[in-house]
Amino acid sequence: MSKYFQLAKITFEEYLAYRLNFILWRFRSLITFLTPFFFWLAIYGGQEELLGYQKTQMITYVVGVVFLRSIILASRSTDLAGQIRSGELTKIIIAPWEVFSYYFTRDVVDKVLNVFFAVLEMATVLLVFEFPLYFPKNLETYLYFFLIIVLAIFLYFFLSLIISLTGFWTEDVWATRWLFGIIFLEFFAGAFFPLDILPFWLQKIIYLTPFPYLVFYPLKIWLGQISGLMAIKAILICFGWLGFFYWLTRFLWQKGIKNYGAYGG
Amino acid sequence: MALIEVRNLKKYYQVYQKEPGLKGSIKSLFSRKYEEVKAVDDISFNIEEGELVGFIGPNGAGKTTVLKCLSGLLYPTSGFVSVLGFSPSQRKIDFLRQISLIMGQKSQLWWDLPPLETFKLNKEIYEVSNEEYQRNLRKLVNLLEVEDILKVQVRKLSLGQRMKCELIAALLYSPKVIFLDEPTIGLDVVMQKKIRDFIKEYNQRYKATIILTSHYMGDVKELCRRVIIIDKGKLVFDNQLSEITQKYSNHKLISVILTRKIDPKFLGSIAKIKEFNYPKLVYSVRRNEIPQITAKILEKLPVTDLNIEEPAIEDIIRGLFTGKNYV
Repeated sequence: MSKYFQLAKITFEEYLAYRLNFILWRFRSLITFLTPFFFWLAIYGGQEELLGYQKTQMITYVVGVVFLRSIILASRSTDLAGQIRSGELTKIIIAPWEVFSYYFTRDVVDKVLNVFFAVLEMATVLLVFEFPLYFPKNLETYLYFFLIIVLAIFLYFFLSLIISLTGFWTEDVWATRWLFGIIFLEFFAGAFFPLDILPFWLQKIIYLTPFPYLVFYPLKIWLGQISGLMAIKAILICFGWLGFFYWLTRFLWQKGIKNYGAYGG
Repeated sequence: MALIEVRNLKKYYQVYQKEPGLKGSIKSLFSRKYEEVKAVDDISFNIEEGELVGFIGPNGAGKTTVLKCLSGLLYPTSGFVSVLGFSPSQRKIDFLRQISLIMGQKSQLWWDLPPLETFKLNKEIYEVSNEEYQRNLRKLVNLLEVEDILKVQVRKLSLGQRMKCELIAALLYSPKVIFLDEPTIGLDVVMQKKIRDFIKEYNQRYKATIILTSHYMGDVKELCRRVIIIDKGKLVFDNQLSEITQKYSNHKLISVILTRKIDPKFLGSIAKIKEFNYPKLVYSVRRNEIPQITAKILEKLPVTDLNIEEPAIEDIIRGLFTGKNYV
């Protein structure tokens, strides 16, 4: 365990090595937070309800997306693709540790930093604009929310690794990452807007994919729009997807590593 | 059983050939011609515990590929490899903990942080106790004279400084098997010597098994009794270094210091001249002709000094790689 702890420490130090970079990174995330916030405030205008969402709920959704983005979608497993290409992966696989744990540890540090600052920034903005957020009333909801978030963190981790793993076979990982990472993943996950404002037929298709479990379902649970048995069902399906993608990641890793050329040097 | 066993190791790559230029790039979008490169082609050898073996060969001979197969980075196309009783490509934790791969051209240090951070991380990864860590670190740091750079960002170090830190990071945990790929690259002569001495001592003290590749014959000559020569993926020689001379050179060198200038034509009539730079003259002579030719030289030339020597190993190996025996 202590090796991963030391790795976490060193990753943390890496972030702080470049001050300007760090400040700009936070600035960028503040902007990405403010944009949808003001966008939805403008759309609602004086109205209290729109598209089946009350103003408070929608603002909560948007703020929730920022929070989940920082805790679920933020990921260092992206690095893997570049490391395969440059041969830098060598230094990781030659050391006696679990490769997936290596990336997960780096991810955790990324998330901790992200969450810390995201909460700080969100709190500031919300206090300045004095906007009330929606908080669930029963304890059960918090439990479901927590559970599905833990599953979603792992689910995204493996999804992101799988995209990176394609680097073993193709050099065009960036195209894949754009198509799946941004378009499908973030759109289908509900990171741009709640999925249930889309046409019904499109919703049906999206619900068949694993993506809504990353952002949309957790927030629906938080908002109390999915509860009880429905929430448990969502958690179980998410669990199923997680199992599948864990298996797929291992499978692709074992195939891919045989293809690895360990270039350079 | 030998510590390292390699039998019929083959590693073939598929590489696609791209014609130069934009046109070639576009063409390669639609159809790619793949070619098989035999990086390692049916190589077998054994290495016993505590041996220090030199791997030599021209660029692209397959040295590094063999090292990568031995350290588990590459999956062999076919053949059997065993190191410390493990199959390297499975990369078991217990295996990885006991080996070290140092590549002169590939850094394992963390680029944005001082080397000390990498050392601390390696201490944890390889589960080194505090005392051992302190002891090893102190010894290595003193030996390689790097006290003053331990807290400087790695990317700000010179190549030589970085190389020294690579060595420290790779040896902190006292690995049993060490693969050294060009360890003295970019170092000045004094430091090369130091690192050689260090490797030699490390090998003797810890009974560590070391395989070394180098472009510098000096490294190999000074460190390795046994050498393995690889060329175009094939093993061409595996024996004591001194045997190279026996096997590949049936000639010796007679070097002579002349007292006055002589017509080069006349000099050439005695034996084959390898080198003439007045007053020094070097003949290359078949071993069995040495007595007669020596007598002839002493009789016909004004000589103040005469030596009979084995040809330089560098020359023999160069001859080997260019396809002809050393003459």
